Amino acid sequence: MCPSTHPEDYAEARVVNQTWLCNSLAWLIATALWGGSARANEGQELEFFESKIRPLLVNHCYECHSETSTKLAAGLRLDSRAAILRGGDSGSAVVVGKPNESLLIQSVRYESNEMPPNQKLDAASIAALEQWVEWGAPWPAEESPDSMTPEVGYDWPELQQHWSWQPVTRPILPTVSGTALIKNPIDQFVASRLAENALRQPPPAATATLVRRSFIDLIGIPPSPTELSRWVTAIDATPTKRDMQFGQMIDELLERPQYGERWGRHWLDVARYSDTGGWTQDNRPHPFAWRYRDWVVAAFNADMPYDQFVTNQIAGDQVDTESAIGTGFFALGPSYSSDGGDPESVAQAKSETLDDRVDTFSRAFLGLTVACARCHDHKFDPIPTQDYYSIAGIFNNSRETETPLADVEIQKTYHAHQGKIRAAQDKVNQLQKIPKDQKREPTDQEKAEIKSWQEKTTELKATAPAKYDFAHTIHDAGSNDMKIALRGNLLKSGEVAPRRFLRIVEGQTRNHFQQGSGRTQLAKAVVDPSNPLTARVMVNRIWMNHFGEALVRTPSNFGILGEPPSHPKLLDWLAVEFVESGWSIKSMHRTIMNSATYQTSSDFDQEAFESDGDNRLLWRMQPRRMDVETWRDSLLAVTGELDTTLGGPAIDRIVDSQRRTLYAKVSRNEPKGSDEFLRLFDFPIPRASAAKRTSNVLPQQFLFMMNSPFMIKRAKALSELLQRKEATDAARVNLAYSLLYGRAPTVQEHEISKQFFTTQPVSNESLDRWQQYCQVMLSANEFMYIR
Amino acid sequence: MTHRAPGPPVSRRDLLQRLGSGFGTIAAASMLSDPTHAGRPQIDVGPSLLSPKLPHFAPKAKHVIQLFMPGGPSQVDTFDYKPLIEKHAGERPSAVDRKTLRNTKNGLFPSPFGFKQYGQSGKWVSDIFPRTAQCVDDICFVHSMHTDIPEHAGAMLMFNLGHLQPSRPSLGSWLCYGLGTENQELPGFVAMSPRAQPRGKAANWGNSFLPGAYSGVYANIASMKPDQILRDLKNPHLPRAEQRQQAELLAQLNRLDLKRQQQDQQLESSIQAMEMAFKMQFAVPDAFNTESETKTTLELYGKSEFAKGCLLARRLVERGVRMVQLSHSIDGYDIAWDTGHGDIKGGHARLAQACDQGIAALLQDLKQRGLLDETLVIWGGEFGRAPTSEGQKGRDHDHYGFTVWMAGGGVKPGFTHGATDEFGCSAVKDRVHVHDLHATILHLMGLDHERLTYRYSGRDFRLTDVHGNVVHDIIA
Repeated sequence: MCPSTHPEDYAEARVVNQTWLCNSLAWLIATALWGGSARANEGQELEFFESKIRPLLVNHCYECHSETSTKLAAGLRLDSRAAILRGGDSGSAVVVGKPNESLLIQSVRYESNEMPPNQKLDAASIAALEQWVEWGAPWPAEESPDSMTPEVGYDWPELQQHWSWQPVTRPILPTVSGTALIKNPIDQFVASRLAENALRQPPPAATATLVRRSFIDLIGIPPSPTELSRWVTAIDATPTKRDMQFGQMIDELLERPQYGERWGRHWLDVARYSDTGGWTQDNRPHPFAWRYRDWVVAAFNADMPYDQFVTNQIAGDQVDTESAIGTGFFALGPSYSSDGGDPESVAQAKSETLDDRVDTFSRAFLGLTVACARCHDHKFDPIPTQDYYSIAGIFNNSRETETPLADVEIQKTYHAHQGKIRAAQDKVNQLQKIPKDQKREPTDQEKAEIKSWQEKTTELKATAPAKYDFAHTIHDAGSNDMKIALRGNLLKSGEVAPRRFLRIVEGQTRNHFQQGSGRTQLAKAVVDPSNPLTARVMVNRIWMNHFGEALVRTPSNFGILGEPPSHPKLLDWLAVEFVESGWSIKSMHRTIMNSATYQTSSDFDQEAFESDGDNRLLWRMQPRRMDVETWRDSLLAVTGELDTTLGGPAIDRIVDSQRRTLYAKVSRNEPKGSDEFLRLFDFPIPRASAAKRTSNVLPQQFLFMMNSPFMIKRAKALSELLQRKEATDAARVNLAYSLLYGRAPTVQEHEISKQFFTTQPVSNESLDRWQQYCQVMLSANEFMYIR
Repeated sequence: MTHRAPGPPVSRRDLLQRLGSGFGTIAAASMLSDPTHAGRPQIDVGPSLLSPKLPHFAPKAKHVIQLFMPGGPSQVDTFDYKPLIEKHAGERPSAVDRKTLRNTKNGLFPSPFGFKQYGQSGKWVSDIFPRTAQCVDDICFVHSMHTDIPEHAGAMLMFNLGHLQPSRPSLGSWLCYGLGTENQELPGFVAMSPRAQPRGKAANWGNSFLPGAYSGVYANIASMKPDQILRDLKNPHLPRAEQRQQAELLAQLNRLDLKRQQQDQQLESSIQAMEMAFKMQFAVPDAFNTESETKTTLELYGKSEFAKGCLLARRLVERGVRMVQLSHSIDGYDIAWDTGHGDIKGGHARLAQACDQGIAALLQDLKQRGLLDETLVIWGGEFGRAPTSEGQKGRDHDHYGFTVWMAGGGVKPGFTHGATDEFGCSAVKDRVHVHDLHATILHLMGLDHERLTYRYSGRDFRLTDVHGNVVHDIIA
């Protein structure tokens, strides 16, 4: 599904035609199978083709339907047998042996399309084409221009040179001038790039700013005034112990369960996590989706090694029950269906579901857009269509299932009770059937009996124990390879695509995955140390969530169309460190945050801005607007209202709750209770894996701040807290600045507040001046930005 | 590909007046003076996401009103007159022997409605659309529509987003992305329906992977209150003057913050967006309030819920809204025209009656206000219905051929394009796929459907995917 708007980029992917052997073999087999009576021999047929059919096609069709057409019409080529069978946008042009069902014949007869459009062919030509189709559309073995045939169209050695497919090696650390502040190798990489571009290394951030930044980064809520002053004092006390104290703060934050809530949510974006299935009507809710969400949070809190985290999400069902929950990554994806059972729609729905699995798998773990190869070979990256179906085949052998999480006894009790309900219902049906079959009214006695069983059914239903908890998981349901679906249409099969990994990563010799669906083998290939993508992709994501922008600014596309890294050596250094630390994400946080680069000021620098407006070289810490979760959680935290309960079922209307925003119920289609609020502040619609959040400023966001009951409640709570804790207006204003912004107000800000409190109210409003003031303070940019 | 800047779609003065004094003024003014801005629309940061953008070439239309008929109105009972059905009633000639969802085996079923000729163009129209029939000389009929599948949800999504699954942005979202909108105090894209939302609901006006600013805002005509069109539109506590003071305080604090930060485009945008939000509180309810309309106008439209939607549509495009999608529905049914299965006569007559006056009034009203030239009105459902009968009195889905009509916005008036076969089953002459319709709509709005792309998940997406040809024949 990708318009090829960049033909120039495609120039590299030359089509090399070495497919005649395969084609002629297929042709021989096919001819043997058709058999049939009244057939000319093969030689005669081919002679007929050359004398009658080929000239006809060349003269009347090739202007629009061949490799040489300037603009290919309807996606249809008539210059090889394979192309004709594959057909165009309206489907296969020829049904072999059946002229009446062949679009080509219908079109030349002017029954469906009218082809050729300018003038209808004469009757003899039409008859010749009919004859040819009836014979099975014989075509001589020849080099056929056929871009469908996989793995021949790419210049592999050339494409392999692309940076992201090169092996990861530990880079040599660059040397930097003696004056640069270097806390760890990250700073060497960054400082040397700044120096190369004649930019100054930025100054360190003020300690209070850095503490607030670190809290929000790691746990998603700002420090309380007490915490802030404790750490600022500790860090600033002794210059020689500064780094140690800061490191200790990071360690403490990483131990808080709120860390997993914050960083688990970053992963849930990538996993396009949703509480509903999401075809057109969200008609298949996932009642226990939250089990996967909590599993992700717990994995981050436990610092589950990333290779294990990946493995469990791909094939945790083949490890143990707990790990199986990880496969919710796939089980909770959008599953499409058809509302009428029309075969085209059924096939389309299935192929769309597989597309989700392949797309999410490849972008999340590998930073590759394999789904681009669903209908044709990837136009930019060396990913043939066959590779798409190699991966799709693995998921085609995997089914969504429910993994019970309750004790066996509880399950038994539940199922036994359900059995009783069914039995009672059956009894009702049986009793009702007797008089009906005999075409008479039930007797009074029968009526009484039916009524009594109906009552029993109702009672049983009322007393039924709730369904025990289960997780949405996937399990193996077969071990078969798929065939390539021609132009993405599952109703049209091409050659077999053995289940195996991608050639660009694993090379030409690849293992055929035959253990069940092949997911365990797939997971191994993903986390194999020789895979150049997995570690790079993840450290890049971690970096992005600390700095607002990633080193590779297309975090889920490391292909040819992705952006190259701003600091390629730094990326590789991080990837090496990551794997050597045992894939520890927490260790990566420590490495990054203990660098001078992380700890720099976000102050603006006009000169640097003019030479590097996008801040790719990191001449400052990029100020960021909070994401919706952090903003809402922080609002509740500063007013003292945040409910810090961990985990559990999703909450329908998060704006009415005081739980963390992570626990909002999210859906794919119809914006329900929570979605409307979340999406207003750039929460991604979880229909596909989200590589990074956008941050748009919209007027409607300010309607929320000015008018929503949520904001007014927070304003009242804050006002109440200030009144309770402080006696004077000035002291209250001080406390508000300290709670919300982590600083004292200026003289000017005191003046502004004084003026606001003394302005005469216009009317008898139901929100007093202090409450109005608090609402403004909470809505202000200073609160919403991380600096 | 040319990047020449054509005349702006709205006059500079016109634009500046409509935008008021907010950020839009600055963005639009700088854009209009910048001749290089005529290429592919760029995503700007902040609130200028919806600022007017120049199209690829001079547009014929500036606004779209889509009168969407979910469920599939029958072409041979409305606008595609096929007298031959009567003659061959009960027969099953090969032209109609096509498989649709239920694979009906019954023969040709004559329309239970009479047809008459109207206007200079002498167009045959069914008796169930007597008022719309009066407008045929303004209408361009496309009888040769076809689509991919005969199932409602998928075909509806195809019609509204060019894809069978709800994973793409809608037409209105693409238009807002490509062109922005003229009035920053109103949403750029409004979707409405009386009672039931069309099947697929929000996907029909959703932004999918485009930024949220391009999503349609939905209003339920039956239950809406003008001051609740947008969530949190109205302040429950403070009168306007009081709220103004509060807004000033916030602006003051944010300006201080901006000064400290020295330079930050997003912070600047946010101050302007807040001002815009303040104005929206009053502009939005005003746009959705029909009380100020004259008695004559109200009588022209009549009292039906659909007609109210038509009147609102006019008020919205008049105020610069880029696209309005008004979906038909009665009895709370999300695929209203699907009542055609059981009973064409009863079902279609009631549905037509519920929308006929509104449609005709809209066309007349737009015309007399000089808005029809710049507003493209589109009428049609996701597919049509077969000329054969399903059961006794109904018709099954037909995706091989159906009718869509357009008016205003640069299409040929009093014109008919394409044809179905002699029985009205399949499009046979000058076939127009839904992708072609989309390409044509974008073209009329000044956008090249092959250049209006959005990079997402490693690929450039288009409304028309890899398909679509502009139907130049219908363009005036």
